[in-house]
Amino acid sequence: MSDLIASLPPSPVAGSSVAGEGDDGSQALRPWRKRRRLPSSPLYAIVRWGGAGLFAALVIGLIVSIVSQSSQAFAHSGLSFLWSGTWNPDAGDYAGGTLVAGTVITTLVAMIIVVPIGLGISVSLSELIPRWLAGPLSTSIEFLAAVPSIVVGLWALLVLSPLFATDVEPALERLPVLGWFFHGPAYGPSVLLASVVLAIMTLPTVVALSRTALGGVPLADREAAMALGATHWQVVRRTVLPGARSGIAAAITLAVGRALGESIAVALVIGNRPAIPHSLLAPGATLGSAIVNQFAEASPGLGTSAVIALAGILLLLTILVNVAGQLLVRRRGGRRLLGVRGAVV
Amino acid sequence: MRTLRSAGVPDSAIPDMGVAAVARRRVVVRDCARHSIRRRRMTGRAMQVICLIAVLIGVTPLVALVIATVSKGAGALSIGFLLHAPTPEGVPGGGISTAIVGSGEIVAYAVALAVPLGLFIALFLFERAGAIASSIRFSADVMSGVPSIIIGIFAYAVYVERFHHFSNVAAGFALGVLMLPIMVRANEEAMRTVSVDLWEAGISLGARRSRVARSVVLRGALPGVVTGNLLALARGVGETAPLLFTVASPTFAMTLLIFNDATQPFPDAQQTAWGTALVLLTLVLILSVTARTIAWTLNRKTR
Repeated sequence: MSDLIASLPPSPVAGSSVAGEGDDGSQALRPWRKRRRLPSSPLYAIVRWGGAGLFAALVIGLIVSIVSQSSQAFAHSGLSFLWSGTWNPDAGDYAGGTLVAGTVITTLVAMIIVVPIGLGISVSLSELIPRWLAGPLSTSIEFLAAVPSIVVGLWALLVLSPLFATDVEPALERLPVLGWFFHGPAYGPSVLLASVVLAIMTLPTVVALSRTALGGVPLADREAAMALGATHWQVVRRTVLPGARSGIAAAITLAVGRALGESIAVALVIGNRPAIPHSLLAPGATLGSAIVNQFAEASPGLGTSAVIALAGILLLLTILVNVAGQLLVRRRGGRRLLGVRGAVV
Repeated sequence: MRTLRSAGVPDSAIPDMGVAAVARRRVVVRDCARHSIRRRRMTGRAMQVICLIAVLIGVTPLVALVIATVSKGAGALSIGFLLHAPTPEGVPGGGISTAIVGSGEIVAYAVALAVPLGLFIALFLFERAGAIASSIRFSADVMSGVPSIIIGIFAYAVYVERFHHFSNVAAGFALGVLMLPIMVRANEEAMRTVSVDLWEAGISLGARRSRVARSVVLRGALPGVVTGNLLALARGVGETAPLLFTVASPTFAMTLLIFNDATQPFPDAQQTAWGTALVLLTLVLILSVTARTIAWTLNRKTR
């Protein structure tokens, strides 16, 4: 439908030759007279263009204000603000390196948790579970997306965190090989808990988008695979999943974007220690959690500018990830491994 | 192995796929048939069980969260809880009336900013094709992924720092900016369901664009518009980060009150936090359910 609209000139009727007939000889001299405008009220044009202009102004204003406010911090620490040093406002040290690392680690761990679970759920919902059950299930997972992040944070802080400190974290420490990731005292608030919270909060994104992608794989592809003698699972594994590859990639990318930017719930459960965590059980800090915790206490001038510089880094990261995700969403379909008209008979 | 070509299928009917793709496809087919049907079925069964376990794992946190919020929040709830003002930290009793009123005020400002603007921008996107429209559409998509904390900082820089005081107007502005891209995209998607023929028919009857927009486009898109706006509102109501640097006191917004009370050692404060969380969760649930119900009913009526 958008193509149809795109093929129309801005004023569909005005471009036709009928509209230009009354202009007789003057047409050659003034070609722009050929396009007569549609009857329109100036107010409506102002409203539409004003809205669009205001939106553009908001987007540009957002970027400009963050960049200009953070310039003082970058002038103070140079570009090394991005990767080096520690965050110690008392000593006048401002650098976002540890926070960037904390953000990347929590997001990565969250994705390690959420991607297999999310894919398993979307495969179940679109392929295995009968429709009468799949509907309510997917609605309830969508409802998880509507739960305010502060409520998730409250639950994680007051319910999950004690549970992690007494049961989950000691159990993880005893794991044979993986235990190396989980050493040190079990406090409760930790990088691991923050990652679990992020996994819970990004689950609906992964499920909703990858389920749409799985549903978009043509029926003929599945039938072709079945005709070759594939079992139900082989159809899923060899045809449906590869066919939905780009949609799944988009789902994961957008989930990464959400995980990077989540701040409130993470600030409640990560323990807020701006240093590179030596273990997943250690407290840490992310860009978002540091902004939440430092902004109110930041000294005017350089301190505030440094916190806004953190926001600038976060903005850059999320814009990059979201642009990638949107490009993936816009890319229609994906390469199919087992198509209908296979070259092998 | 017989190929399509050797089977006499004309070249034009064979999709053009590189040698590598053909080889990969052969590997897949061979791989599919490598094991006995019994073994393949068993693998399938095992994977199905794993997928269903994933469903259980995924639903558990949701159920646990709702149960915890309801069971711990119900104890705090009472008429007085909703109608009384909060007490100072550490003093037991008190309600959340100021937070409810404050949240309502902030959301009202946000709605006043975002709903009309969202409609205007969506109409712009609907009627116009080209580089400007597609770049606005793309930036709306990207903007809806910008973290809410950054929008809070933006509102702080634009309003609080300039006028040197915290205000619910600034918070409403932040929430409005947060909801705007979601509303724009939802509105435009809803408008796209209106047939272009109808738009053209309206124009060819001599109606002005504004008239067609009101009577044809908005009318036809109404269920989608209402649903999209309510869902965006549900998201806005539950946001904390944009309010953090714009509202004068945590007692002026429900989400801030939860954030503030959750970290306090007093059991009474935590109780208040749970109660507020329950109120908030109920509100968001009502908004989401209303949105879906409206979409469903209006869709059936127009059909």
